[in-house]
Amino acid sequence: MEIHKGKYRLNDRNLNFDMVDGLNFNNSGGCFYFRGGNGFGKTSFLEKIIIPALKADNLPYLYIGQDIRTQLYTLRALLSIQGVKVSDADEVELLRLWINQGQSASVLILDEFDKYFPDYGFIFDWSEAFIRNYIIVTHLATSRCEAPANNHPIYNVRFELINIDGHLKNIRVRNE
Amino acid sequence: MNNTVIFKLGVIFIIILSFFWLFVFGPFYDSLVIQLTVFIVVVGWNVLRFSFKETISLLKFCFPFVLSLFVFGLIFHYVQLLGRTDWLLDTLIKCLVFPSSLIFLKILLTYITYLDILNLPISMKKRIGLITMKSAFQKGEKIMRRFSWYLDTYSDLQSDNRIKSELKKYACLIIALYLYLYEEIENSNRLLKNRYHHFYEANE
Repeated sequence: MEIHKGKYRLNDRNLNFDMVDGLNFNNSGGCFYFRGGNGFGKTSFLEKIIIPALKADNLPYLYIGQDIRTQLYTLRALLSIQGVKVSDADEVELLRLWINQGQSASVLILDEFDKYFPDYGFIFDWSEAFIRNYIIVTHLATSRCEAPANNHPIYNVRFELINIDGHLKNIRVRNE
Repeated sequence: MNNTVIFKLGVIFIIILSFFWLFVFGPFYDSLVIQLTVFIVVVGWNVLRFSFKETISLLKFCFPFVLSLFVFGLIFHYVQLLGRTDWLLDTLIKCLVFPSSLIFLKILLTYITYLDILNLPISMKKRIGLITMKSAFQKGEKIMRRFSWYLDTYSDLQSDNRIKSELKKYACLIIALYLYLYEEIENSNRLLKNRYHHFYEANE
């Protein structure tokens, strides 16, 4: 899957992205870190551009959203209907069970996961056997957040505010 | 103030009872044209009171129920169950009555505010119960859209059979919503009771 360079506009979120460089997820795989200030559209970019592109390419993926506490209710429900026993499972165990069930996925997306689990190396332990690309939104400093992904090539993608035109935010997205 | 609240709640409940008496159990139940009109009016009212997006999400929530109702009605009509030949008409009416009454009830109940509940001449324990219920259901309604969004991202729920995957997704949505409401009601109730007790003790 590839996100080509160019302009992407999300009217309902008042965001206008200028992709200076394309994102290519077809290569040997790696860890794409999305960085940038709050409100620069990183989550919107994931949910409105990356995920629809993955769906369009029929590429199975796993997505752990920023509101993980909300998502956990759906994971508990999903695993229950799949016959997995979840009554005593805590948050980490639920995630482990779900990731273990999702071995057809080749992309794993984490949106500010380090906010809840600063040492999230366990996610890589559970998934690196089948995941090729990780897409990770983070606010942590480069050295700290890259530590868990030490076996993977790192690509940093920067979200920068160019200007605000009325309600519309113009954001530049470039590789570092 | 108490009288005004009682009057307001009285009017709301009379309107709800009248609606059910007229369109669900009463004289206009059998008319498909009236039921269709009521459905359009109620949906329009919901769009004006909330939003188009929220209305679509509510209709999507009703859809599996309506669909299963319709499918069974169609089968009953085809086999002429109990010798009846009016299954299809009756099913179409039910397919309109169900979402209409649900949406109508929901709209009317949103006119009852937290302030109204606080001004009711009932014990604090009962007020806390009512406030908890109102808060939980309001949150539940909002969170349903997010749950749906997450469920759409799970490839485990996708299959070649669209109906099967929709039904699975729907089952997950109901379970997630139930778990959420259960926890939310418990937490909100505990929080409210705790705050009330501290406030009460501080003023003793």
